[in-house]
Amino acid sequence: MLTLIRREIRDHIVYFIAAVVFSAILIAFLTAAMYNLDWVGSVVFEALSVPILIILVLGFSAMGVTQMYLDRNRRISAFLSALPVTRSRILTARIIAGLLAILIVLVPLTITAIVMGRLTGPPIPISSGHIADILTTVFLMTFACYCLGLLTGWTANKIAPTFGALGLNLVLVSLVFVKGFGPNIKFLLVLVIVACLIRTWHKFMSTSL
Amino acid sequence: MNDNVIKVENLVKYFDGRCVLDGINLTVPRGCIYGLLGRNGAGKTTIIRILLGTEPTTRGDTFLLGTESTNLAPKDRGRIGCVAEGHNLIQNYKVERLIKLCKDLSLQWNHESFDHLIETFRLPMDRRVKNLSMGMRAQLNLALAMAIDPELLILDDPTLGLDTVARRQFLELAIEVIQKQDRTILFCSHILSDVERIADRIGILAAGKLVVDCPLEQLKERVKKLRIIFGESPPENLYLTEIVNQQIHGREMTVTVANWNRQKQAILETFKPSSCTEIPMSLEDIFIECTRPGTEPVQVA
Repeated sequence: MLTLIRREIRDHIVYFIAAVVFSAILIAFLTAAMYNLDWVGSVVFEALSVPILIILVLGFSAMGVTQMYLDRNRRISAFLSALPVTRSRILTARIIAGLLAILIVLVPLTITAIVMGRLTGPPIPISSGHIADILTTVFLMTFACYCLGLLTGWTANKIAPTFGALGLNLVLVSLVFVKGFGPNIKFLLVLVIVACLIRTWHKFMSTSL
Repeated sequence: MNDNVIKVENLVKYFDGRCVLDGINLTVPRGCIYGLLGRNGAGKTTIIRILLGTEPTTRGDTFLLGTESTNLAPKDRGRIGCVAEGHNLIQNYKVERLIKLCKDLSLQWNHESFDHLIETFRLPMDRRVKNLSMGMRAQLNLALAMAIDPELLILDDPTLGLDTVARRQFLELAIEVIQKQDRTILFCSHILSDVERIADRIGILAAGKLVVDCPLEQLKERVKKLRIIFGESPPENLYLTEIVNQQIHGREMTVTVANWNRQKQAILETFKPSSCTEIPMSLEDIFIECTRPGTEPVQVA
């Protein structure tokens, strides 16, 4: 399994590098905001939060699409399944790699938020429960978009995964903006994740490689 | 212990409403070298893909090493070496990386044999797979399949793209594998002389059916091509069953009959032909007769 995860990471290293860079930029902004740099705080929390979120979800969705699209069109799983590897392991390794990329962005961000929050207090009035809500929802949203990418990426057609994933992601992001970070949206996101994973699993396990 | 390494039961496969495999039944015992033949599009690769679990069936079951193809566990897959048609390797990997990946995923790796093969084939380690020639890709694929000391080796047109020397090397390698006890090989190729050289059992696919499934020697005995000359014009009907092909030129009739036996010989003699001579047939001749377009599939088994 470790070999398969390593292979996924190495094959899609660009997404992992982008995740590290993106995480570093976010941490820099967050740190600056926490040190009472009011203009940065307002820029981050008011003007940049939407584009940051969109970049985040589209990036991870693109990662899911790329993993599945390249696999299908380069027939990677067809080759791997001739080795002592099962399809379920290939897909599990892929999902773990995706989760790792998401965690690379979110874990340092969470740690920074907690540490800086304790050291200096949040830049805007916010409870620790809210921070947890926001981070959980962002995690679920990015993972849901990644799963949508996995689902739409398993095709030989280039247009379907690009526009299919884009459209579905925008619907999800809009829902989060409309519903906020409450339990309803979390439940909905979990449903989307479960549905996408079941469908992707079924598709990947039963299709010809 | 079940000694059939490969078992196919009533296999049916449709592609877009077209029947490619129509009720195939096939067993390959342990230690057998099975040459699976058929024209392009006959369904050889489909059978192999179904056996390896990369293609779903429409109906029927397939088993490898006693386990259903769809449920092959990694430990079963680790006993199977495979050279796929078109040498389906990860194209954007460097040779070295691909080898490392296969080595890391394999349950066993024969370093000595693999290094020997790589040295023999002189494969460039730092080149990407997509930049290798077809022949080099075939050699790499073969070396990777052999490195795990497979109990079952599945070769789908493995010599495609190889030059004469490399092809000979491959055949010698295959023979080396055969000599190891209990190794089984399923071998598809269009180069029938290769198949004839190494296979001890032959299967021929035609019109979605397995029209031939018997040992090579038996096949040569059972399919007979006869040149019969009659005193007058030849009879319209010889009343022989399982005629694969029949041609008439004046008083001469050339007939290919499957499952030749004494009974059929006796029926033929009732027509009192002036002469009846057997035309020797190679595997290629038999294959051409059995897969000739327009002929009804005749079972030779």
